[in-house]
Amino acid sequence: MEQTLFYILAVVTVIGTILAITEKHPVHAIVYLVTSFFSLAVIFFLLAAPLIAMFEIIIYAGAVMVLFMFVIMMLDLGRPDEAKRPALRQWLLPLILGGIILVSIGLLAAGHSGVPDAAGEITVREFAVTLFRKYGVAIEIISMQLLFAVVGALYLGRRRRP
Amino acid sequence: MLMNSGSCGTKMKICLELIILLPLLGGIANALLGGRLLSRRGSEVMACAAIWGSFAATLAVAAVYSSPVTLEIASWLAAFDFNAAFSLYLDPLSLLLCLMITFVCGLIHIYAVGYMRDDPSFVRFFALLNLFVAAMLTLVLAGNLPLLYLGWEGVGFCSYALIGFWYKDPKNATAGRKAFIVTRIGDIGLGIAIVWLFQLFGTLSITEINKMGFLMPMGVITALGLLMLLAAMGKSAQVPLMVWLPDAMAGPTPVSAQIHAATMVTAGVYLLMRMFPLIGVSATVTAAIAVTGALTAFYGATCALAQRDLKRILAFSTISQIGYMMLGVGAGAISAATFHLLVHAFFKALLFLGAGCVITALHHEQDIFRMGGLRRTLPGTYWPFLAGALCLAGVPLTGGFFSKDGILGAVWLKGGILYGGLYIVGLITAFITAVYTMRMLLIVFGGEIPLNPPLSKGEVKPLPRIMEWPLIPLALLGLCGGIINLPDYLGRGLLNSFLAQPGSQEQILSHSTELLLQGVAVVVALVGMSTAWLRFGGLRRQLRMAEAQQQARGLNAFLLNGWRVDALYGLLFIRPYVWLSSLLWQRIDEGCIDDSLDSMASLLGRCGQWLGSWGQGRVSLSLISMAAGAALMIVWLAWMVL
Amino acid sequence: MIVPLEHVLMLAIILFSLGLVCTLVWRSNVIMLLIGIEIMLNAAMLVFVGSSCHWGKADGQVFALMIMAMTSAEVSLALALVVYLHRRRNTVDVDEFRELRD
Repeated sequence: MEQTLFYILAVVTVIGTILAITEKHPVHAIVYLVTSFFSLAVIFFLLAAPLIAMFEIIIYAGAVMVLFMFVIMMLDLGRPDEAKRPALRQWLLPLILGGIILVSIGLLAAGHSGVPDAAGEITVREFAVTLFRKYGVAIEIISMQLLFAVVGALYLGRRRRP
Repeated sequence: MLMNSGSCGTKMKICLELIILLPLLGGIANALLGGRLLSRRGSEVMACAAIWGSFAATLAVAAVYSSPVTLEIASWLAAFDFNAAFSLYLDPLSLLLCLMITFVCGLIHIYAVGYMRDDPSFVRFFALLNLFVAAMLTLVLAGNLPLLYLGWEGVGFCSYALIGFWYKDPKNATAGRKAFIVTRIGDIGLGIAIVWLFQLFGTLSITEINKMGFLMPMGVITALGLLMLLAAMGKSAQVPLMVWLPDAMAGPTPVSAQIHAATMVTAGVYLLMRMFPLIGVSATVTAAIAVTGALTAFYGATCALAQRDLKRILAFSTISQIGYMMLGVGAGAISAATFHLLVHAFFKALLFLGAGCVITALHHEQDIFRMGGLRRTLPGTYWPFLAGALCLAGVPLTGGFFSKDGILGAVWLKGGILYGGLYIVGLITAFITAVYTMRMLLIVFGGEIPLNPPLSKGEVKPLPRIMEWPLIPLALLGLCGGIINLPDYLGRGLLNSFLAQPGSQEQILSHSTELLLQGVAVVVALVGMSTAWLRFGGLRRQLRMAEAQQQARGLNAFLLNGWRVDALYGLLFIRPYVWLSSLLWQRIDEGCIDDSLDSMASLLGRCGQWLGSWGQGRVSLSLISMAAGAALMIVWLAWMVL
Repeated sequence: MIVPLEHVLMLAIILFSLGLVCTLVWRSNVIMLLIGIEIMLNAAMLVFVGSSCHWGKADGQVFALMIMAMTSAEVSLALALVVYLHRRRNTVDVDEFRELRD
């Protein structure tokens, strides 16, 4: 049953992403994208990564996408109904390139046959241990990166005296 | 190192070398030292002394001459089996020509001292004049064909330099170029003939080639003869290569006298005479020479009839008279042609020098219809000029009469339809010659001094003595030159016997035929002169002067422009050539070659710009490029793996 | 594992190329460009999580977490930039900003 669930969710993700791409109204696009992230999170959950699924929803769909929404509304980009979708000519080259990459990696992926070690459930505990023991330095660095980002964003976003 | 067929002492050897060396050294010394170390008088004296010294050496050689002599001075070209040394060959023909050249050129040098009195570039002038004489003597005395060709080219170069002497006027430079280029066309024939002769015979010595002529088939001989005829046409200004001589009158008058009357233009005839034992056996060649000569004689005479410029009349007259000499060579009468060559040199140089006197006296006026009455104001010029004109017209008992008649007699003797026709042409030309000569004489010297001042350029200027007295020896030689070769009924022809090759016999006319022919010639000359008198003499002269103020029309214009041959050549050769060269210049050189370089450069520039356009700051472009690169790498990876 | 790893990878690849197309095609709105980047990053996260499940190790999930952290940082900075540029030029068209060229 989980198999069927996976495939359904996969279809939902893809359709959501496609709609997000082709939508000319940015807010609509973000909503579609949130949908696809939700289904992706459930896929994560199915793939024995509940923590990541939670984080996906909280951080990604909750914080990052909301941030996008804030900025779009703040910028007030004019009348969204009259916004232009990119012309068909502009779609052509990206589609070709995307198609090439899709096909190539797809072929690579399909030819892969790896032998699983042990398909066991990965518990939160195991995750935490790996995170803080093996990748402790990375955490420090990531936190520093977040600090840089905060400082940068503050600086860029400040209002100058007119 | 002497190789001779007769005895030749060291004195003779030295004198022979001096004949050529003195003018050569004089020219070089003048060129190097002239303006700097020597005064003007010094340069002039050195130039004249060189020529007169050469004349003295020639006299010394003539005094001890007994039989043909070959003298090898030094080796020159020697490679594999090709051997051409500086070797001189002295035989009656070259001895006579040396005497004539040195004497006439000596007189002309003295004349030129007076003529170029006010000219600042006298150094260049006298150096070139001396070099010219040296080259001409080399040509005449050459014992092998390369040395002859050296002299040939030397006279061509000096002629070019002297015609364009006042080069600052583009017309003069163009005339010099024209002379050089047209004679070049003829020189090609001589060049090919020389190389071919070497290939055929293995030697280029003139005496040996002349002996070996019987070895070759007639076709080869004919071809060789026609090539040499082409060379002679160029150098001696025969039809069709005669267009340069009238324009060559742009040079100073002493140059015209020396080069284009007495010496260089006879070089072509000399070549044919020299090689006659080789090429004379072919009837085609002799017929071609004779026809060329007769046609040219007729052409020159008719054109001289309509000319206005005094020097151009004389130039066309020279063309015509050299045509006579060629006619003589074509009829096989070498001695008659030589006789005419010598006497013509005397009286034509005289006429040119006289013309120079007239022109200088009238402040460089050259249009005869602006002259008149000069027999009273320039008597020192008038009488010698009259003597020369009488020789030219062929008045009985002058040297010109006997020489011209000798040629016509030889043509008559040859017989056959062709030569009979050529004899008629020769007679008609003699008639026209008489007419134009008297026309020139009557218009220039006849009448009174022009009454209205606007026609003339001012009072008649007195001439320096030095310009007038060289005319006198020439006049005497012209008038009395007939003594050299009297017809048989009057005595032995000295020249004939001098020039006779041992073993060959020239046919002799019977006395009665000769008298008859001479009578016909006398009648023709007298009729011609009286026709001219009727048209141009006395009161009718005024009418002609008035008529001449208008533009020439019809037949007059046709003859005035030399049968419009210049225009014809311009249409046939020069315009296509100019068109082709401008095409090559603009379309190909600038259009293709330059443009291809330019467009290659601009192509590279555009390539660079196009490549640089990738670096515009457009983000979308960078993204696309990145995606394309990634796609490429991934495709390659997939290819490798699968 | 519920599905073979290949299927998870296929899904990830599809999402990745969709994100790439979105990035490349949306020149007129830089926000959509950034959204494309988000999609691509999500696809990468999916690969990590799927392979972590396949091999039973937690390392993949750790890295997915790090991607998320990095994404947050990057998004905040990017959007700050967008706001800044919008204040300058009043447009979000990417092609309008061309000063950085030689």
